[in-house]
Amino acid sequence: MTKKRERLQVIRDILDSIRKTRNIKPTRLLYSSNLSPQMFKEYVNELIGKGFMKIDIDKKDKKTFLLTQKGFEFLQEYKVIENFIENFGL
Amino acid sequence: MVYEWLIANKEILKIFFGLIIGIICTAIVLRTHRLFKLSFHQGIRYFRNAFLFYGIAFLVRYILGAFLFFNLINPIYRQIITSVFEYFLIMAGFFLLYSLLWKNIEGENSKYSSSLINPKISLFYLMALILVLLDCFWGGLNFMFLSQVILFAIASIISYMNYSEGKTQYKFRKFYFIAMLLNFFAWLSNALVVFFFNYNQNIIINIYLLNLVVFILFLYGVVKVTELK
Repeated sequence: MTKKRERLQVIRDILDSIRKTRNIKPTRLLYSSNLSPQMFKEYVNELIGKGFMKIDIDKKDKKTFLLTQKGFEFLQEYKVIENFIENFGL
Repeated sequence: MVYEWLIANKEILKIFFGLIIGIICTAIVLRTHRLFKLSFHQGIRYFRNAFLFYGIAFLVRYILGAFLFFNLINPIYRQIITSVFEYFLIMAGFFLLYSLLWKNIEGENSKYSSSLINPKISLFYLMALILVLLDCFWGGLNFMFLSQVILFAIASIISYMNYSEGKTQYKFRKFYFIAMLLNFFAWLSNALVVFFFNYNQNIIINIYLLNLVVFILFLYGVVKVTELK
């Protein structure tokens, strides 16, 4: 049985999916995040609220997600954060 | 000879001690605050709070204590300074222990927006207040010593369990367990010197040194684990 993903891993996976594609449609991000629609919505709202990602709406009124500078910084330091939490047992 | 010199200059040395611990705590708070701002991880938040409170406690005790020694503050404030120091020190211990326990109590998706004011932490504030008041009424710091001995005994056990779980994967867990154990011995020695050795100055100097080693170990651990590869 695979271990349940920790909250930080879920955030990493969502942000990493956006980073790989530069901008990604909500449906594609939902599939790649492997979350239920309800959970996905909660995570996306939290990440937008905390400034890790933002919504871009084009002329045809289509939504895509973009990574912010803070989102990039999170991905860059993800290993450090994970290391810290695990090594100190937090 | 060394002990005599240290005892003769203890008030000046206490100021340096307070400053060094204050600087160490500031460095830990700044380092962990950056990680918290990126991750919003509650465990990092409580760990950061612990060192914020340790920093405040030591600065209050030894810097304001120096003002008292040099008669820059009215001696009637001595008890207030001691109580404030005690309060922050006890709270720091609670935060450090809670940083190891929060996941089992709040759950990983904790909804608390503040780590300083929330129902769980309010209980610690209340407990710290009761301990400070008990020490005020009885005189001395006996209740603080006893509470910290118990607290760090529990923290050492939890750190050991964490270490046994991830021995090979996370090398620093052993180091954190050692730091917690040393902290426990420092508090135990503090309690013993008060209860059985009538504030023996030589032992107290050794406890100060042990405390310094513990804080340097914490700083070393934080710097080492958080350095960018």
